[in-house]
Amino acid sequence: MPQGLTEAIVNLRMDEAVTLAQRMLAGGTEPLAIIAESSEAMQVIGRRFAAGEAFIPELIMGGEIMKSISQAVMPEGDEPDTEGAKGTVVIGTVQGDIHDIGKDIVVLMLRIGGYTVHDLGTDVPVEDFVVAIKQHDAGIVALSGLLTLAFDAMKSTVDGIAAAGLRDRVKIMIGGAPVDENVRAYTGADGWGGDVGRAIKLADEWTDGGA
Amino acid sequence: MQHGAEEKLGDGLIARWVSGAHLHFADDEARKSYQARAQLIVDTIRLRDTGKIPVIPAATQKFAFDYVPVTFREAMTEFDKAFAAYVRQYEDTEFDAYVGPEFIFPAGMFEALAWNRVRLPGVHLPDDKSFQFVEAEYMKAEEYDEYLDDPSDWILRKYLPRLSPKLEPLAQLPPLRNMVAFFQGLPDLVLAAAENPGVVDAMKALQASGAAVQEWYDYLGRIDQELGGRLALPHLLGPMAHAPFDIISNYYRGWRGTIVDMYTRPEKMKALMERLLPWQLQYGIDGAKSLGHPIVTVYLYKGADGLMSEAQFEEFYWPTLKKLLLGLVEEGLLVWVFTQGKYDSRLHHFKEIPAGTCLIHLESGTDAFLAKEVLAGSQCIEGNVSSALLATASVDEVEAYCVRLAEVCGKGGGFMMDFSAFLDEARRENVRKMIEVAKRYGRSS
Repeated sequence: MPQGLTEAIVNLRMDEAVTLAQRMLAGGTEPLAIIAESSEAMQVIGRRFAAGEAFIPELIMGGEIMKSISQAVMPEGDEPDTEGAKGTVVIGTVQGDIHDIGKDIVVLMLRIGGYTVHDLGTDVPVEDFVVAIKQHDAGIVALSGLLTLAFDAMKSTVDGIAAAGLRDRVKIMIGGAPVDENVRAYTGADGWGGDVGRAIKLADEWTDGGA
Repeated sequence: MQHGAEEKLGDGLIARWVSGAHLHFADDEARKSYQARAQLIVDTIRLRDTGKIPVIPAATQKFAFDYVPVTFREAMTEFDKAFAAYVRQYEDTEFDAYVGPEFIFPAGMFEALAWNRVRLPGVHLPDDKSFQFVEAEYMKAEEYDEYLDDPSDWILRKYLPRLSPKLEPLAQLPPLRNMVAFFQGLPDLVLAAAENPGVVDAMKALQASGAAVQEWYDYLGRIDQELGGRLALPHLLGPMAHAPFDIISNYYRGWRGTIVDMYTRPEKMKALMERLLPWQLQYGIDGAKSLGHPIVTVYLYKGADGLMSEAQFEEFYWPTLKKLLLGLVEEGLLVWVFTQGKYDSRLHHFKEIPAGTCLIHLESGTDAFLAKEVLAGSQCIEGNVSSALLATASVDEVEAYCVRLAEVCGKGGGFMMDFSAFLDEARRENVRKMIEVAKRYGRSS
C-alpha cells in the first residue's frame, strides 16, 4: 500500500505511517524502497513549503516521521543512502553563535531537495569550514547566524575561505533573521536569505537546478 | 460601567511611575524631564496625538560596552564596568527611556550552578560574544500528566536537576505532598536535606550563587538611580510575563518536541498552557506591584509568521496569549508586546485587545507600514529599524528609512522610534541619526 504510506506521511500521521512501513517490511518490501517512498512524501511536503502552503511545523514533523520510519525499517547501524545528486553543501552556524533551529531546517530542506549536506553544527571555527570544503569537495557553503554579532564571524569565514585559496571553488550563502543585502556585501558572500526557504532556491540557481 | 468604579491597580501604578517617586532626582530639571518622558510614553501607548515621537531602545548591549570598551565577560562579572558603559552610552545618545542593563545577567550565578541552559562568554564562548540560551528537551513527552498533577514537584525534582548538575541531588528529595498530617513526611525531608551529602552540596551551590545575585541587584538599583534620577530616563522594562506556548517550547519541550506534541498530543499541550496561564498572569501582576511599574513586557518567540500556520497560531498560540494580555489589561496595566520575527499575518489579532493598551514591538522582518495600517487606532507600534541597516548602511540610508517611518507610522501618534532587536554592532552616527529624526519630527509637527 505505497500510496497509503505516502498519504500518511504527507498528512503527518506519525503512528500510522510507522505502522504501515513496518507492515510493508513484514510483507517483503525492501527497506530502501520504503525509505525512497518516504523521501518522495517528504519532497511533497518540501514543495508545499516552498509554495507557502506548509510551514515549519510540517517540515519538522515530516522529518521526525522519516527518522522514525528509518529506525523502524533499517537494520541497526545501517544508514540510508542520503547522497544527493544536485551538489554538496557544507553548512554551519558561524563562530560565536550557537543558534541552530534555522540551520537545522535549512539542512532538512537541502537534503530533501536533493543535496548532500555536511552539517558542521554551531559555533564553527573558520578552519573547520576550510577543512570540510576540501574534504567533501563542496561547491556550496552556507553560513548561518542569528546574532548581529555573527556578521563579523561570517566575514572572517568568507575571508578565511579565500585565504585558503578556495574562494573560486565555492559559492557562499549567508542566512539568518538579521541578514540582508547590506550584510551580504559586508561579508563578501554570494547570496543571502532571511528565511529558510531561500536557501534551496539559491542552491538551485547556483547549480542550475542540479541539471 | 458604573460611575465611581474602583481604581484599577494599573491606574495608580501609572501615576506613580510617571511621577518618578521611586527615584532621587539630581535636580528639579531632571525630575521634570523624567516626568515629561514617562508621560509621553504613556500617552503614546494610549494613542493620544502628542505631536511627538518618543525614541526608545529595544535594549542595548555591545553597543553600550564599546563606549568604554568592556567585553561581555567583563560586563557580566564586574558590574562597575557595565555600569560605566551604560552611563556613557546613555549620556551620548538622547533616548526617551533606557533598556539593557538588566539583561547583563550575573555570570557568577550561572557558573556556581553550572547552569546548562546558558552558554557564557569566557566559559563556553569568547569573552566578546554575547551569552546565549540553549533550547533543549528538559521535559519528556510522557511527563505532561506528571506536571499537570503536581507542577512544583516536577519543577523541584525533575526540572532543576536537569538544568544544573549541581542541583541533580534535589531529585532525591521526598515529594513535598507527602507532608500532610502531624509530622508525616518530616523525618524523610530532614534526613534528605541535612544528611544526604548530595542535597547538602546542592544547597551550598545555591548559597554560592547568592553573592552574584546580590551584587547584580545592587547594580540594577544603582543604575536605575543614575539613568533615571540623573539622566532622567524612565526604565521601560519592568515586570515580565510569558506566553504559555513559549514556556513549553523554549523552556520545557524544545521546538522540535513542541511540534511533535502539536501533532501527537495537542490536548495535553493545551491543558498545560491553560495551567500556566493564571500563574503567568499573577507573575506579571505581582511583578508590577513589587517594581511599581505599570508596563508588563511579554517577549514573543514562536508565534511568528512561518514558524506555524495561521490555523496553528489560532489553535495553539493565540488563545492563552490573548487571555494573558486581556487579564493584564483588565488590571489597568499596559503591555509591551515584543514580537520577534516576522509578524505581518498576526498583527490583526492585537485588535482583539482593548485599544491603547499595548505597545507592539516590530522587528525589521515585519512590514511596519502594514502594521500602521492594520493597527492604527488600536495599538501603538514601535521598532523596525533594522540592525543590519544600523551596522552596515550609511547615515543617509538610515535617515531616509527613519524619515519614512516617522512620516508614515508617526502620523497621528501611536508610534515610537526604535531599532529592531537588541543592539550590538551599530555605527554610533547611525543610531544618533535615528534619534535625531524622531526628535526632528516632533519639533516640526
